[in-house]
Amino acid sequence: MNYSFDFQSVTRNLGPLFDGLAVTLQLTVAANAIGLTLGFVLALLLMSPWRLVRLPVILFVEFFRCTPALVQIIWFFYCVPMLFNVFLGSITMGILALGFNLAAFNAEAYRASIQAIPREQLDAGIALGLNPVQRILYIVLPTAIRASIPVLLTNGIVIFQQSALVAIVAVQDLMYQAKSLATQTYRPIETFSVAALIYFAVSFPVTQLVDYLERRRLAVAG
Amino acid sequence: MRDQPAAPLVSVSGLQKSYGALKVLKGIDLTMKPGERLVVIGPSGGGKSTLLRVMMGLETINGGSVTLAGKPYIRAGATPARTVIDIAVRRSIGMVFQHYTLFPHLNVMQNLILAPCKVRGENKVKASERAAALLTRFGLGEKLTAYPSQLSGGQKQRVAIARALMLDPRLMLFDEVTSALDPELVGEVEQVILQLAKQDMPMMIVTHDMWFAKNIASRVLFCAGGVIVEDGPPEQVLGSPKEERTRDFIDRVFHIRQ
Ligand SMILES: Nc1ncnc2c1ncn2[C@@H]1O[C@H](COP(=O)(O)OP(=O)(O)OP(=O)(O)O)[C@@H](O)[C@H]1O
Ligand SMILES: [Mg+2]
Repeated sequence: MNYSFDFQSVTRNLGPLFDGLAVTLQLTVAANAIGLTLGFVLALLLMSPWRLVRLPVILFVEFFRCTPALVQIIWFFYCVPMLFNVFLGSITMGILALGFNLAAFNAEAYRASIQAIPREQLDAGIALGLNPVQRILYIVLPTAIRASIPVLLTNGIVIFQQSALVAIVAVQDLMYQAKSLATQTYRPIETFSVAALIYFAVSFPVTQLVDYLERRRLAVAG
Repeated sequence: MRDQPAAPLVSVSGLQKSYGALKVLKGIDLTMKPGERLVVIGPSGGGKSTLLRVMMGLETINGGSVTLAGKPYIRAGATPARTVIDIAVRRSIGMVFQHYTLFPHLNVMQNLILAPCKVRGENKVKASERAAALLTRFGLGEKLTAYPSQLSGGQKQRVAIARALMLDPRLMLFDEVTSALDPELVGEVEQVILQLAKQDMPMMIVTHDMWFAKNIASRVLFCAGGVIVEDGPPEQVLGSPKEERTRDFIDRVFHIRQ
C-alpha cells in the first residue's frame, strides 16, 4: 500500500475534536451521575419484598441489559418523542438514554454488593436504634458503594465509549466531529486513528485504576 | 431498693418462634431481675441465638410477648408479620454478635458516635468525649482513629461492646461474642464483660466457655429443643445438674463437672 499519511490535516483541526471530546465528557459525567444514583435506587427496589414494586424495575433493568445500546439510543431519539410527545434537546436525550442504560447495569452491581453485606452488620444497625432510612444512608450505601467501585468504574468507562453511538443521532460529540472532519479532509484513516487515541487516552488510566483497586482488594482479602 | 421485692427487668412469656414449619422456640417463660446476669448454654440449634434475637427485636414471633421494665415491647400479632415491636423500648437494649459487625467504612470513634448522634441527636463533641473515655477504659485509647480492618478480632469485639454501651442500655445481650476469636484473644473480651458485670449491668450471655460462664453468671439457663430445660444458680446447673439432658450436655461439651 502506498498511502502517504498526512496527520497534519488532523492536527491542524484538533479544535473541533476537542470540542467533541468536551461533549463526550459531558455526556459521560451526566450519564454517570444518573447511573450512580438511579442505579442505587433501582437496586433497592429490586430487593423490595413486594412483587408489584419489583416487576416494573426488573422490566426496566432487563430492557436496558438485553437490547443493543444503539437500538436504545435510536429508540430514545425517535420513538420517545413520538410516543410521549417530549423531546428535550439532543444532548439531554443522549444523556437520558446513556444514563438509564448505565443505571440498569449499576443496579446489578449494587445489588450484588448489598446482598454481600453480612446480615449481622445490618442487625447491629437495628440494635443501635438506626431507622431504616438511616441504615440505608449510613451502612448500606457506603458499604455497597465501596464494594462496587471497580464495577461502577468499569461500567462508567464503558458508557464513555458507548457514548460514541449518539453521533448517529447528530449529537456533536467526539465521534460526530471525527466523522465530519474525515469527510472534510478526506483523511478518514488519520482522523479516526486520532479519535481512537483520544478515547484510549481517557479510558486506559481508568482501566488501570480498576486493575489496581482489584489487586489491592485481593491483597487485603487474601 | 434492697428490701423491696425487685420488679422484674425482663419478662418473657409464652414466647413462640418458628421458621416456616420449624418450631425453634416452643413457649419460653422467663423473668430476669435487675442486676442479674443470665448465661444461656445448650446444644447447637437449641434456639439460644433465636431467643436473644427475639429479645433484641430482630425477629418476628408466632406467640407470646416480651416485657422490659413493665413495658411489653414485643407482642405477637395475628400473624408473625404483625408482630408489634416498640422501637423506643428496643433502643434501651444493646446487643453484641458472634461475627464482627463494626461498620468497615467508619473508624472506631465514628462507629461509636454514629448512633448517639443520629438516633439521639447528641452533640458530636460530647459523644466523642464519652466515646474516648469508654474506649480508654477498655484499653483501646490508642485506637480511636483506627479502621476496623486494622484491628485484631479481640479489639473489634471490645469496640463493638463499647459501641453498644454508648446508648446507655438497660440490658446487654451477648451472643457467643468470643466464638469467632483466636483462643489467645478470648480473655481480653471476657475481661471487658466482667468489668461490666462489676457495675451491675444486667446481661444475658450465650457462651460455650465454661470458665467464663462460671465467673460471670448469677444464673444459668440450659436451653435445648426450643425450651428452657433447666434454670438455676451456676453451681447447680453447671456443677450438679438435676436434669438428665443438662448432665449429658455438660459432660459432652465441657468434659468436666465438679
Ligand atoms: N433465619 C433462619 N431461617 C431458618 N432457620 C433458622 C434461621 N435462624 C435459625 N434457624 C434455625 O433455628 C434453629 C435454632 O437456631 P439458633 O441459631 O437459635 O440456635 P443456637 O442455639 O444459637 O445454636 P448455636 O449454638 O449453633 O449458635 C436451628 O435449627 C436453625 O437452623
Ligand atoms: Mg447461636
